Amino acid sequence: MSKLIRFELRKIFTTRLTQIALIAVLLLSVLFSFSTYQNKYAFDGVSNEGTGRTAVEIDKSMAAKYEGILTDEKVQQMMSDLVPKSDSHGLNAIYIYRNAMQSAVAARFSDINGNWNGLSVSDVFGKEEIKIGYVDGWLSTSQNIAKVFFILSLVIIIMIAPVFSAEYGGVDNIILTSKYGKTKCATAKVIAGIFAVLMVTAFVAVINILIGFLLYGSKGLDCSILFAPLSFVEGYIPFNITCGTLLKYQIILAFTSAISVAGFTLILSAVCKNQMVALVASATVHVLPIMLPVAETSTLFRFIVLLPLYHSQFLSIMSVEQINGGMLYAIWAIPSALAFLMIGCIASRKAFAKHQVS
Amino acid sequence: MELTTIELTKQYGSKTAVNHLNIALSNGVYGLLGANGAGKTTLMRLLCAIQTPTSGKIILNGKSIVGLGEKYRSLLGYLPQHFGYYPDFAALDFLLYVAALKGLNEKTAKRKSEDLLESVGLSAESNHKIRTFSGGMKQRLGIAQAMLNDPHILILDEPTAGLDPKERVRFRNLISAFSKDRIVILSTHIVSDVEFIAEKIIMMKSGQIIHFGKPHEITSEIDGQVWECSVPTNRAEQYTATLNISNLRNEENGCTVLRVIAEDTPIANAVKVQPNLEDLYLFYFKGENDR
Repeated sequence: MSKLIRFELRKIFTTRLTQIALIAVLLLSVLFSFSTYQNKYAFDGVSNEGTGRTAVEIDKSMAAKYEGILTDEKVQQMMSDLVPKSDSHGLNAIYIYRNAMQSAVAARFSDINGNWNGLSVSDVFGKEEIKIGYVDGWLSTSQNIAKVFFILSLVIIIMIAPVFSAEYGGVDNIILTSKYGKTKCATAKVIAGIFAVLMVTAFVAVINILIGFLLYGSKGLDCSILFAPLSFVEGYIPFNITCGTLLKYQIILAFTSAISVAGFTLILSAVCKNQMVALVASATVHVLPIMLPVAETSTLFRFIVLLPLYHSQFLSIMSVEQINGGMLYAIWAIPSALAFLMIGCIASRKAFAKHQVS
Repeated sequence: MELTTIELTKQYGSKTAVNHLNIALSNGVYGLLGANGAGKTTLMRLLCAIQTPTSGKIILNGKSIVGLGEKYRSLLGYLPQHFGYYPDFAALDFLLYVAALKGLNEKTAKRKSEDLLESVGLSAESNHKIRTFSGGMKQRLGIAQAMLNDPHILILDEPTAGLDPKERVRFRNLISAFSKDRIVILSTHIVSDVEFIAEKIIMMKSGQIIHFGKPHEITSEIDGQVWECSVPTNRAEQYTATLNISNLRNEENGCTVLRVIAEDTPIANAVKVQPNLEDLYLFYFKGENDR
């Protein structure tokens, strides 16, 4: 069996399209990270201003002044130190961006003129204890990873679609007449497919996290995602979790997405007679749910977000209300992925064994 | 070992490819002849259990091959008419993969693969990628993979297609040496290949067996209906259009010798000759491939 699995892995990784797709996803990871990094801008309100590395250094030094638990006193101090009160020519002060800390405090505690809006920490965050610090880097990394993981889910389809369907080009004759063709070979294909998907997902996740560490360091991983620049406030995850927890969930969701995608792609690969048809059908099944006219307030949405597309596009599933013990609803992605995987394994093996050679 | 089909039928929609076919095959080499669309490939696929019959069954030594599953497939070797391959695999790797599928252990797989590459004349190319192979080389690799597990039932669909005369002779010798105490079924359009190595001929038409027997037995069907006659070369084309010609040979004296299949004397100077399998094939299938 192990020999068969090795052969199947070799088939998966020697496919030209797979190799190109894997190189593309790695290049995109680097491109997204470095372009985000280069586009960072910060001004400390006094004399330091810059982009890229300079901006990150400014943001880090600004965050260092206020890091710790967010209090009403800290809010007042930040409002006084950071939020511009000069004439902004009618522009809402909330949307003026100088640096990450200023944007974070303005987003929650400023009125349109840059004055305190009268809200206390408990008014905004309830009883939650909000630890603040430099979160902009890791939140940007998280946003980039979401894009990368979505692309990765398509790469996985490219990798897995030929697992069975490529054999229907003529090798099926030989495989299905051999002793283990309908049994161990089909199992080896499934195992190799899952293993390949897990390896690639782990590799891409590690690369992206390493780039994150390289660019932003480890600061902010223990800080709350709730006290973040404006772009991470509107329509973002509304729960008091740290950047580290966010990344953990996101990586778990990348794996659940990968496993789920592998599950249904294996079925379509075994059913479709042609690898291109299997590829297009799998991609369609994967992307289709985003076009469904289901409102986020609908009960049905709670089930729809368990589809793999929403695992990689983590915001929707991470925003569904929490379940017991502070656990996010997103945790349901795990049993959902296992169900996809089991159905995929069983159905694809059966379909391949029953395949009628033509 | 006896492989039997009972009322074996395969239909594709309204077309019947194999029609209530009953045959019992014991050890020996069987040549399967028939025009395109006669049902040969479908019969072979049914025997290989890669297609499910519409009705009827296939029995090996009294047991249904469906129930035998892996046990049956471990006895089987199959060369399909059009077989796929992995272009990035070297020949040896491909055979090692097929050996793993056939359940051979690593040591045996390597030894058998190397021996068979030698037997089919590919040992020098064992580490070359299959994408670089010619059609004939791929065909020889296909023959090698079919024989990896020393199958007791060897089914070869058009095994000599794409082989040059030297390779065809090598193949015939290989099969002759291999066939002892085994069932070997091979289909081909090259009737002479079957004539040389097949102990029995199965002739199929419209999904049914129209002849089954030893070559000399079944050619006796057309005894007295094969003629040879000499005609002027400039008139040979005219005869070809009107008569069932199985062979045509130009002589140096401006004459052409025609081999004609006809019930009555086709031309005044025609003499009766001993029929061969090619004559029989043309007798039954004249014009079938043109449709």
